[in-house]
Parts: sequence; C-alpha cells; structure tokens
Amino acid sequence: MTDLALGKVRIADLTNVIAGPVSTRVLAQLGAEVIKVELPWGRAIGNITMHASGSGDRPYNQVTSFNEVNRAKKSIALDLTHEEGRKAFLELVSISDIVIQNYSPRVMANLGLDYENLRAVKPDIIMISMPALGLEGPWSQYISFGPGTDALSGLSSVTGYQDGPPHKPGNFYADHNSAFHVTTGIMASLYKRFITGEGQHIEIVLREATMSVIGEQFISYQLTGREPKRMGNEDLNFYPHGIYPCKGKDSWIAISIESNDEWEKLCIAMDLTDLLIDTKYLNVNTRRENSPTIDEAIKAWTSKRTRKDAMHQLQNDGVRAGAVSKASDLLEDPQLKSRKYIDQFDHPDAGPSSNPGLPFQFSTMESVEGIRAPLFAEHRQWVLGNLLGIRASTIKSLTESGTTPDVPIDRVYT
Amino acid sequence: MTQESTAALNNLKVVDLSVGYAGSYCTKILRDLGATVIKVELPETGDVTRQYGPFLNDEPNIETSAPFLYLNAGKKSITLDVSNPQAIEIIKSLVATSDIIVESFHPGTMKSLGMSYESLSELNPKIIMASLTHHGQEGPYKEYLGSDITSYALSGYMYLTGDEDREPLKAGGRQSEYQCGLSGALSIVAALIGRLFSNSGQYIDVSATESLTSTFDGVGYFRTYEKNGIEPLRAGTRLIAREPSAAYPSRLLPCKDGWVHVHYSPSNPEGLAFLTGSERLAEDEVLGEMMGHADEIDELLTMWLSNHTREEIQTLAQEVRVPFTMVQSIDETLNDPQNLHRNFFVDIDHSHAGTLKYPTSPFRLRTAEWMTESPPLLGQHNHEIYMDTLQLSEEEYKTLSENRII
Repeated sequence: MTDLALGKVRIADLTNVIAGPVSTRVLAQLGAEVIKVELPWGRAIGNITMHASGSGDRPYNQVTSFNEVNRAKKSIALDLTHEEGRKAFLELVSISDIVIQNYSPRVMANLGLDYENLRAVKPDIIMISMPALGLEGPWSQYISFGPGTDALSGLSSVTGYQDGPPHKPGNFYADHNSAFHVTTGIMASLYKRFITGEGQHIEIVLREATMSVIGEQFISYQLTGREPKRMGNEDLNFYPHGIYPCKGKDSWIAISIESNDEWEKLCIAMDLTDLLIDTKYLNVNTRRENSPTIDEAIKAWTSKRTRKDAMHQLQNDGVRAGAVSKASDLLEDPQLKSRKYIDQFDHPDAGPSSNPGLPFQFSTMESVEGIRAPLFAEHRQWVLGNLLGIRASTIKSLTESGTTPDVPIDRVYT
Repeated sequence: MTQESTAALNNLKVVDLSVGYAGSYCTKILRDLGATVIKVELPETGDVTRQYGPFLNDEPNIETSAPFLYLNAGKKSITLDVSNPQAIEIIKSLVATSDIIVESFHPGTMKSLGMSYESLSELNPKIIMASLTHHGQEGPYKEYLGSDITSYALSGYMYLTGDEDREPLKAGGRQSEYQCGLSGALSIVAALIGRLFSNSGQYIDVSATESLTSTFDGVGYFRTYEKNGIEPLRAGTRLIAREPSAAYPSRLLPCKDGWVHVHYSPSNPEGLAFLTGSERLAEDEVLGEMMGHADEIDELLTMWLSNHTREEIQTLAQEVRVPFTMVQSIDETLNDPQNLHRNFFVDIDHSHAGTLKYPTSPFRLRTAEWMTESPPLLGQHNHEIYMDTLQLSEEEYKTLSENRII
C-alpha cells in the first residue's frame, strides 16, 4: 500500500519546454514514476538554451528552467528517428500507463508513434496530446507557444491598463494553466481506466484551457452586446479595488472593498472620518464616482507604511489587503514557511535551489518534495537495463551510435 | 455513445457549498468530467457570483449574471440556509451518499457549523472534502481575508505583470480564483485515485495565493533572486528573463490594424529574417544574443508589421513556420475559424438569459459530446433533490420552505 496517489503509475514523458514538463512534474510529485525521454541533443530548444546558468564540465545539467520543471523525474535520452530508439521507446510504452507529448500535431505521426502505434503495444495506454490550437481545424498546423495563445484566446484583449493597449500576464501563464488542466485530465482518464480497463487518446488544447479561465467574458459580450473593457486593476463590482503605493521603491499594496461594511472598516482602519460619516459613500457607484477623493485618502495612508506593515494592519482591521510580493518576500513569507510550500533541494551540478511547491495539502496522502531533476540520461542504465531488460552490450552499442547518448550530442540540423 | 457512458467521473456526486469563482470553477471542471454537482445556495440571493455583472441588458438579475451562467452550466441548484441547524442535517444526509464536498468558507467555519471533515468522514469514510481559500486553512495568515486581486498581489504574480515604469497590473478576469479552482479539481481527482486503493476519503486544503505562485515553475523565479540578488520584475509584454542570451522576441507589438504577438522560432531561427526581409535578424551577432538586441529586434519587426494587418501577419508568418499570432477581441475569438471548426462554443438555451454561446471545456474527450445543459435557476432542483433524492415528505418540504430554510 502506498500513500502516494499515483504510486502505481508509470509515465513515458516526451514533453519539452514548460507546459508538458510542468504537468508531469505535478504527476511525479503525486507519486508517478515519470521517465523523461529526452532529446539526444539535450536541454536546449532549437539553438536556444533556456535560462542557461551553466558553466563547468556539464553545463547541460545546469539549465535552470529544465531543473525546475523536471523535479522528481527520471531521465534517458533516445533518438526516436533511429529504428532502435523507436523500438526501445515502444518497449517502454508497453510497460507504461501514460504517454504524454507536446510536439506539433504532425511529429508523432512522422515518428510512427501515433495513438494506434502505441495501442498496438499497450492496449490500455492513455496518450495525451497537448497542441496549441487543436489537432484538427484550419489552424491546427499553426505553431504557437503559451504566450502567443494569450493573444489568440482573448486574454490579452481583456488584460491591460484602462488607458493602454492589450497586455498579457507576465511569464508563461497560459502554459501553466494548460499544465494543470492537462494533469487533471490525465488523472481523470486514469481514474476511469482503473475502473473500466480502457485507455484512450486525450487532447487538451492550450488555447482552450486559456479561454476556459476567461469564460465569463464570452457570456458578458453576448449579454451586453459590448466588447469587455480592459479594467486595469479595477473591478466591475467593487470599489475601492486596486493597488496603492507604499513606502519604499516600487512597493505596493492591493486592496479590495467588497461591501459597505468593508468600506466602513477601511475608513476606520485608515482613520478617514470625513469619508466614514458621509453616508453617500455607502454605495459602490458613489464611491466610484468620487474615486479621486477616495484614492488620494487611501494613498496618503498607504504611502506612509511599508507594504507588509500596511497589509498586516489592514487585515487586523478586517480589510482585504495583500502586499504586492517580490521574490524575496515569498522566500521569507511566514505563511508559506508555515505551510512548507517552497520545495528546496540541492543539485550536484547546479547547486541548491528554491522552487514553487504544490498549492494543495492532503490530510493523509503524501506528495514527493525535495527531489531534484535528473542529470542528463542519469537513469539510462536503470531504464534500459533493469526495466526493459536490454543487455549491457546492446546498450553500449546504442550509446555509441547516438541512439541513447549519455552526454548530449551536437544537434545536426536537417 | 452518450456522455453518461463515457465521461471519466460519471456516477460521482459532488456537494458544492462554495461561493464565488474558485469553488464554481472547481466543480465546473468536475461537472465537465461527468460528475453530478449539487450546488447549495442561499435562499433568495444564491451564490454571491449571481450578484456579479455584467447582466443581460445591464439589469442586475440573479438569473442573468455572466460569471454565474458560465461557471454553473449543467449543475443542479438547491436552496438552503446553512446558518440553520436543520440545514446541517440536510447537508449531512447529502454527504452520506456523495463522493466529494467542496467549500470555500473562512477557515474554521465548517467546524463551527458541525461539518468538520472529521465529523463528515464519520458519516461517510469515503468522502473527499476540499476547502478552497485565499491563504489556506492553517498558518499566520489563516484569518486574513482575501480577494482575487489580493491573492494576485501576494502570490508575486502582480509584480511580474504590467509595465516596468508603471504600477503592477492584474491579469484580466479573476485568475487567482480560477487557478485555485483548478488546483482544487486537480487535487480532488488525485484523491479519487488514491481512494481506489485506500478505500478512504481525504481532506484537501487549497490556497489561491499558492496556486498562482505555482505558475512560476520553470522561469528561474526564486533562483534569479537567490543566485544574483535580483528581484524578477514585470517587463511589459516581454518575458521576465533578461540575460542577453535569453530567447527573444516574445511580446505584443502593434501592426497596421491592431496588435500581434511575435515570438522567436526555436526550430527556425532565421525565420524572422526570412519573413520580414531584414537580413540583420539572421546575423550571428543578433541570433547569439537575442535579448541583448531586444530593442533593435522590436524596431525591425515593427517596421514590417506596420505595413500588414493582423490576419496577413499571422498567415504569412505561419506559412514559414514563424509562431506569430494575432490579438483577438472577445467577439473575434467567439467566431474565429478554429473555434468554429472545433465547436468550442455551443448554444445553450436558458429561460432568462436566452440562447448564448458557452465555452465548452478543455476536457472534451474525443469519444464524448459535451453536455449542453443550461445553468440552473436558483433552487431549480429543490423538488428533485429534496423529494426524490432525500425523500422528504410533502409536509417536511413545505415546512422547510415556509421557515425559509430552503
């Protein structure tokens, strides 16, 4: 009996970059044995190494982005364009539960590794495709990465300062959002397979996951006949609702007042007697119409305090407030510390690091924390020899031919 | 084949006591995956989401709230005043025959109502209970209030969104609450798998703030600070990585009739030069240090972009395998050829809101048609749940109604 949800599950993971690896990272933390099948040329995308911080003998083991999103996995490298590499992969598939990949739609078919090929060696396999725009349709062959789907999904259109052009969430929001949807979809399929014994090919489309987290905007447009506006930090239903400057450079606090009761608490907390006694402000629309007066009063109070002091003081007075945190704030954050949220570990080539943990805690099930990403092809012997039973002499010749390299080989562009 | 026979979570029953976006999105996902969701709402006012606009014709109406309609299609609604002790007994009888309970009260509230996980699991040892809050159930901030924007701020995400020379910016919509709901659904499905082997339920504590911080994986967020002492900072629509060797471009740029997202082409580095005719973009000096030449790259691209429309740009770029995409409005997204082809939006009729196109779900498995049931009216399923499922007598039902408990 295992206390890990996915303690009996093996995953052959062909994904690269962010969305795919994050989804299997979460599955690995839930207990799955994730075998990352790496590209023979290592941890670079095209000719671009992501967030390289590497130096020394094995710079390819020091790619920050890779080491973060591949925690708790195992690694082998296989050239799937070699027949021997493809064969070894299919043997791995035959003892796996799940195959996940985020190549563009044509790649798996070109490799002879589409769902039918996989099902032939493992009838109940669950295969996941995670195309940007869909496996079918007029745009199915378009290439897009997470940030580009912010644009195509409508998210950019509704994100931005009120007086400014379309914007987007910082970072790779769409990729992460997609990753968690993929993880959920995989586990739902797995749950079903445990009951019915049937595998399937599931497709979770990156852009569709993004549209799903702004779904109300599409309904809003149809109900009102108006294109939703970019709201900046304001909210249609609440006022005040926004961020205010605090003491210190680039220091801010977010405040949201969601009822008249909360408005009174804010006035009391900030000693805004004039505003408190004026009953016309007991109406969100009146407050909004008088925003310059109100914003000035709030600003005068917040700007005398640090973001953390302001937050604690306001929260103690029953006001919804949150400091706009920086990385250093989160590393010291007493709440995150008490919940042991940050996942920390050492890595022989890259050194110690702190990483975002899992945003949920179980009462009795366990999760895997504190386990680093694998070195390049670190588990080659174990996977090929122990799991697949390939003889040592064969592994040696496969290594020499570049089918399963133990160090990244130079990429040959064709 | 119908949805009922193929959906992953069919036969599972969810009692949803939550209010707001996070819990609603959590149980929307469970519904999309096939579960039956019983949404327990306050009599008269209902889920707080019903108060949130926009509304049909801009007239506030608990039956025509855009977020409510979107988040609740296909769920069953019953009314129940949970502050009444009789209500607790009703919830307990629902829990006894359910698989999952989702709630979003302030930490400690469920316990004070007599519905702690411990007491509910005594009734039903297989029950999985998820609590969705802004900061989590324990810890020094457990009493702190939250909202979408405060979690967006506290998570660190706000500092990464917006222009460097302006105040930080929140993403459109309510992303911290959506991520909280998504993490809730994810962890619930994990607990369902765990339950297959342990035969026992699980309590799950989900934090909205942590859900957003979790999206920093893979961008060197903490490492940039720990190794170099640099706080990752918002960078307009560019990615936050700033080393000269980082990949570039990835940002929004203006064109002839709007904005497009321009992106480097990992498998085709010379693609930008080929597309725009700018040889400079193929020079080793630029390709070797793309972020180091970001401003110059923007300028060269803008010169080309300003002569083309969004559609031309997307089509021309994609033809040569360069991943440029256009910024679409909500209206355009509703009607773009890819969404039309995939039927991502489907018509659902609703007695008050009329027929609208609803986003379906990213979980449309290929063997199943998406359900097209309408969002429930407040208390629409009272009779079905109270009389048919819980087998209350006419008399009991009447008394509960008269006492405004339901």
